[in-house]
Amino acid sequence: MTDLQQLTLAIESGDRGAAVAVTRAAIDEGLDPATILGAMTAAMEIVGERFQRNEIYVPEMLIAARAMKEATAVLEPVLVSAGIRPEHTAIIGTVKGDLHDIGKNLVAMMWKGANIEVIDLGTNVPPDRFVAAAREYGARLVGVSALLTTTMGGMRDVVTAIRAADSPQVRVIIGGAPVTAEFAEQIGADGFAPNAASAVDVARRLLGVPVP
Amino acid sequence: MAPLSRAGRRVPLVPGRTLFDAADGLELVVPASCRRSGRCHECIVEVTAGGDALMPPTVDEAFLRPGFRLACQAMVERPDVAVEFVILRRRLRIFMPPNGPPLDVDPAVRVIDGRVRLLAADGTLGDDLGAPTGRLLGVALDIGTTTVVLELVDLASGEALASAAFENPQRFGGSDVMARITYDDEHPGELRRALRRALNHELMRLYAAWDVDRHQVVEVVVVGNATMRDLAFGLDLTPIGRFPYRSTTETAWRAGEVATSAVERRAHELGLLVHPRARIWGAPLIACHVGADAAADLVATDGETGLVPRMVVDMGTNTEVILTDGLRTLACSCPAGPAFEGGLIRYGMAGSEGAIESVRHTADAFVVRTIGDVEPQGLCGSGLVDLLAELRRIEVMNAHGVFADGGVEVAVVPDRGITLSRADVSQLAQAKAANAVGMQVLLRKLGLEAGDLARLDLVGGFASSLDIRNAIAIGFLPAVPPERVVRHGNASVRGAKALLLSRMARARLADRVAQIEHVELEAEPDFFELFVDGCRFEPLPARRTPT
Repeated sequence: MTDLQQLTLAIESGDRGAAVAVTRAAIDEGLDPATILGAMTAAMEIVGERFQRNEIYVPEMLIAARAMKEATAVLEPVLVSAGIRPEHTAIIGTVKGDLHDIGKNLVAMMWKGANIEVIDLGTNVPPDRFVAAAREYGARLVGVSALLTTTMGGMRDVVTAIRAADSPQVRVIIGGAPVTAEFAEQIGADGFAPNAASAVDVARRLLGVPVP
Repeated sequence: MAPLSRAGRRVPLVPGRTLFDAADGLELVVPASCRRSGRCHECIVEVTAGGDALMPPTVDEAFLRPGFRLACQAMVERPDVAVEFVILRRRLRIFMPPNGPPLDVDPAVRVIDGRVRLLAADGTLGDDLGAPTGRLLGVALDIGTTTVVLELVDLASGEALASAAFENPQRFGGSDVMARITYDDEHPGELRRALRRALNHELMRLYAAWDVDRHQVVEVVVVGNATMRDLAFGLDLTPIGRFPYRSTTETAWRAGEVATSAVERRAHELGLLVHPRARIWGAPLIACHVGADAAADLVATDGETGLVPRMVVDMGTNTEVILTDGLRTLACSCPAGPAFEGGLIRYGMAGSEGAIESVRHTADAFVVRTIGDVEPQGLCGSGLVDLLAELRRIEVMNAHGVFADGGVEVAVVPDRGITLSRADVSQLAQAKAANAVGMQVLLRKLGLEAGDLARLDLVGGFASSLDIRNAIAIGFLPAVPPERVVRHGNASVRGAKALLLSRMARARLADRVAQIEHVELEAEPDFFELFVDGCRFEPLPARRTPT
């Protein structure tokens, strides 16, 4: 009997080999995919909390997120055929002119770990692509990242484009090293997160998802 | 209302505003690059009077000794007491290159029929600068983001008469190029004026000391990263700040509109105090953020040997890596960030007096050596590398940056309160990872391992005190046999000098630059994977095949 606690521990400690192995074993054993997913989500919840409490830092978050990403890749086909889909979808990308993606990737992984479907548009994304993707995927949350003081102005353009596209339900959350809560307010963003862990809390709040 | 005073000028203090706000009112430039959020530690001021008119130090200021505050955090509490403060000036240590082998002397300015004539790249006679007023001189100028270095050179003998180095006065616009690009956009002309004034001041000083007339200086070769070089020439910086991060000159060159990304003006157009019609020549850029300084590094380190494969690394906030196997040459810029320059690290600092540049652990304590042999103030890059390596060696820290006792910080110099925290280690891990990705990606693209390198050229001030074995142990450098590592100090100014003295060197450089392939690291499919692995404090794997 596969112990899903092992999966949670493997992800928390960033052991991707074990995470993938336990996931496979659990699938082969016929365990309910939703339950397996639950063990992954629980792990990322713990990782996020530890980060917020300064018990772990970015490098450890990165390896945990990477372990979860690989375990999820194995679980995905099973979830799909079982018709299990996350209830909420979010778009994420780095603004036009900016190529940085470490932080954005981490947020994407944390959101996936919180069972939010994430469409990652990559980097150097112009405003209209954010709008088009939100519409196409029925996303109610758009995450915009910028790492340079020279590109963060582009976030204002994304907010403008989304408001103009008659998408009242779409919330915009921004983040990145030079970004501040004041800046988010100035440009009319709905939310701001200083790090990937708090990005999960803010996303849940903006999407109206109850905290587990 | 209480005044804030500086050099006799006063401005009223307003409760709730910071010293930085008040400084703005005095038109006083205070260095800063974190948008006044308390992170960059550059706006340290010494409060010489009225400290109790300010609110107590915030958590971001905890690392400072009493009497010192961060101008961006120190808020006025009481409006009835006069406050005085002084911005700290740091004396930076600058490494001048050793005298190398004699350089080609074939200058681009000559006396022909009793007139000083500029020569074009193809040798045709150009501008007439008049009759010579003395021996012909030139200036080799390296505009670093942090430090400016120049040499006054005799164009006939190739000998350097004098050299000077000073802190780049543009620091008030930010310590990194992106911050300065934004600043230049918001305050056009200010940064350029500040540098021009400082340069002219330095030139006048040299002229006086060496009994030189400014009309003798007939050419200036300028090198620097794309931002610094273009800023000096008054070009539009905006395209450098956003993808694809290219100077207008590089874009024009790649589009075939111009023959080179080198740029040229006459001294009077830039307001430089040399001969008014002297040629000011900005060397070509390699690609994007790999600029004219990297090109000059190549010129300085190239000619001495035919050894290949060879890698040139200029460690910094943006680390430039150039790798050649004799057939292909690749270049990239790694977005390392300021952690190893002391930024974002609580007790981190630049390589100036008081910086711990070397650390060893013996018998339960850390033994440190500081620049200037004075009391330690903090740790600079090489000191941080040593510290991380020692922490790993004595197993106080694991490869993921976790301290063995589960603590949040380790004491480095207990009597001075200097510590290294988990948060610091996290920043250093990420800076290191960015560099690791750059070096590994270039090596694998040419099918090489670190052990294949015939030589690793380290340039820049950081290189001079870096312990190679420690750097390899924590994955800061790939595993190159230490005896193959050559340190060059400031190779950029030496390269600039070689370009000043030789038209052949300029022509060779133009051909070289045309062959160099730029690698955009963030476009590598496994960039993230390499980055995450690069965060680990352990030697880099020998060969990285794409996953």
